[in-house]
Amino acid sequence: MGRVFVTGVGVVSPVGLGTEAFGTALRQGKEATAPITGFDASGLDRDLACEVKDFRPREHMTAAEARRAGRCSAMAIAAARMAVRGAGLEGEAAGPRTAVVMGTTMGEANLLGQLESRWIHDGEEKVPSAALPRYGTTLLPIHVARSFGARGIVQTLPAACAAGNYAIGYAADLIRAGRCDRAISGAAEVIEKLQYAGFARLGAIAPEHCQPFDKDRRGLIVGEGAGVLMLESEESVVRRGATPLAEVGALGLACDAHHITRPHPEGEGSIHALRTALTGSGLDPDAIDYVNAHGTGTDANDKVEAQVLDAIFGDRQPALTSIKSMIGHCMGAASAIEAVSCVLTLNDGIIPPTINHGETDPDCAKLDLVANEPRTADVRALLNNSLAFGGYDAALCLAKPGVLPEVGA
Amino acid sequence: MDLVITSLGVVSPFGVGRAAWDAALADPAKATEAAIRTTSEVLDNEALPGARTAECWGFDPTEHLGKRGHRTFDRLTKFLIAAAKTALIDAGLKDGEGAFREGAPGPDRVGICSATAYGSLDAITELNLVAELEDPRFINPSRFPNTVVNAAAGYVSIWEDLRAPNTTVVDGNCGALDAILVAATHLDVGRADGFLVGGGEVVSEPLYRALARLGVVGPEGKGAVMGEGAAYLYLERRAGAEARGASVLGVITGYGTAFAPPESEALLVHGSADAVERACRDALAEAGLEPSDVDVVATAGSGVALIDTAEGEGLRAVFGEATPLATPKALHGETFGASGAFGLAAGLSWMNGAPVAPLLQGEAPSSVRTVLVSTIGYYGNASAVVLQAP
Repeated sequence: MGRVFVTGVGVVSPVGLGTEAFGTALRQGKEATAPITGFDASGLDRDLACEVKDFRPREHMTAAEARRAGRCSAMAIAAARMAVRGAGLEGEAAGPRTAVVMGTTMGEANLLGQLESRWIHDGEEKVPSAALPRYGTTLLPIHVARSFGARGIVQTLPAACAAGNYAIGYAADLIRAGRCDRAISGAAEVIEKLQYAGFARLGAIAPEHCQPFDKDRRGLIVGEGAGVLMLESEESVVRRGATPLAEVGALGLACDAHHITRPHPEGEGSIHALRTALTGSGLDPDAIDYVNAHGTGTDANDKVEAQVLDAIFGDRQPALTSIKSMIGHCMGAASAIEAVSCVLTLNDGIIPPTINHGETDPDCAKLDLVANEPRTADVRALLNNSLAFGGYDAALCLAKPGVLPEVGA
Repeated sequence: MDLVITSLGVVSPFGVGRAAWDAALADPAKATEAAIRTTSEVLDNEALPGARTAECWGFDPTEHLGKRGHRTFDRLTKFLIAAAKTALIDAGLKDGEGAFREGAPGPDRVGICSATAYGSLDAITELNLVAELEDPRFINPSRFPNTVVNAAAGYVSIWEDLRAPNTTVVDGNCGALDAILVAATHLDVGRADGFLVGGGEVVSEPLYRALARLGVVGPEGKGAVMGEGAAYLYLERRAGAEARGASVLGVITGYGTAFAPPESEALLVHGSADAVERACRDALAEAGLEPSDVDVVATAGSGVALIDTAEGEGLRAVFGEATPLATPKALHGETFGASGAFGLAAGLSWMNGAPVAPLLQGEAPSSVRTVLVSTIGYYGNASAVVLQAP
């Protein structure tokens, strides 16, 4: 069981494309929340979202790639290209030993929505047959693998709002198990009308802002985008003399088996996920300098997450932030985009703020929230936390290279 | 890889449970006749004349889930729960009342790796119809969870109280075999003692119409027969099964997967012979076997010419012209994301003496000890698994 390193990251986010724009925006506390432009949201009682507005696929890919891919896959390809390029592997990521593992909640849901709208209003014969295969739930890693000549494992793990952690942590497991040498892994999601309407009907969407851990929080703001990490085995990194940006520790997983949309009231599964991420990485809670919170801004999530962090860290709480206050809840892509943010923090020593913060919820009072202004800190090891629809709990440990103890030592 | 199978829970056109499956596979010709019909219980028969489906005919959820608590579940969720329930009981993890047995892995140590290709399509269409024809505000929030693809396996975890990792896999037709890799990986890391591994798929009108437009399914002579159902194998480490005295039905000893895109940049749909060949070779290498050690291949052959041709080419490159190639989908239809689990289910029946038929090539073996299950996706991926008798 060898070590696994992050050698490149890529991101398509509501506050910027590419790590530089993304990192700068996060440090400045830039918020993407704005009225929806992608579809007519009138009549849905809510009309705000964090959309990716300046994404033009042709700036990131060939004409053929752009024609084949829907918006979700196009974002995945763009983020993957940034990660592969950043790793210095452009033109060298090909072959059967490169895996592509992608997470999502609904994949090309907007393509399906368009096809169904056409079918419902204009009749089946008006739906072009050639458009049908572009909606396939498995297409994200297929498109990405094709872009880089990867010829091995292509997998989609639709783990809802924990999908990024699932994909990245599992891809690292595959490398450790010797199933591949490199993995392009992450997640992508797009905002789609039906999905938005569903969240609105569940009463989950905030009317103005996402305010994680605030006593006046009123829900989440839906976001979209893609985050991709280039993962490599230690051998691959050493062989080509690459400079790793981070080391991937353990993925902790659990399932609540409690409720399809709500978290377990005591966060039992989430506690197990965080604990196993720590033990699997050979770390004590004290070694964690920072937690990227799931922090959706819903009443239930933030209260449970605060309890969970209390159970794990007690009186020594690590710094905590929810960048969902800025970029919204990018659903399946959330924990992948947040993993990119985590890698930036490990490298620049700046923890982005949780913006829109007024007064902390008394239930969350123990937390060391990085409120409203960024914080400079030497973050050596961190946890990226996520909870998801279906009762999924996933936490991933990321660290500066060399910080994690020898696996199995 | 050395994962033992200690139960099979299956919901198929032949009924619920392994006994019904085995009984049907004992007479392949009769099975085909029972499973494949042109009088759908799901589709609009007048609008889709001649549509062939292999449905779970007369499936009554109350027989398996009781009368309450599943009103808002979609058809896939009900199939998966029924399959999970029988698999957990047959594996000896739960008693007939649904309680975990003493001495067996408990709720914290049992997880799910569940595949589907089109699982949420029906629910998405149902809600889109409401949103487009009436008003998005009229969407029933209790039906909304079904639009999320991992909902069905999430409901299984709640119904059966399974708290170890729950992973849904969506890899087109290769999903159920790829779920084995996920389970093997979780087991290696120690995240659980065992997993329900497999998947489910359902016949639905939007899926039928879309795939019929593409020639993937259709009336007699056109494409595959759309099947449905769910199959879960309980997979665990050999030591765990031995420790609790569970009987072993079969052993998974090798897995392989590969991807290759079409040569033309303009194409998206693609069956790759190269991917099939590499997936099979990798699965055999991991099992430490030669192609000649395989008694029969459970192919993915379904009647989709483009895909069947590519698979046949890939298989012949590995196995030559003599190894028996069987097409179990001729009995129970194409179950897409779940099909790998159904291939393994057929393999288990063959190892128990069920006749190997129909065959694309070769002669039916007198006894079956080693099966390779092959799956091929519509976008260039392929996966293979080696199943051996205990």
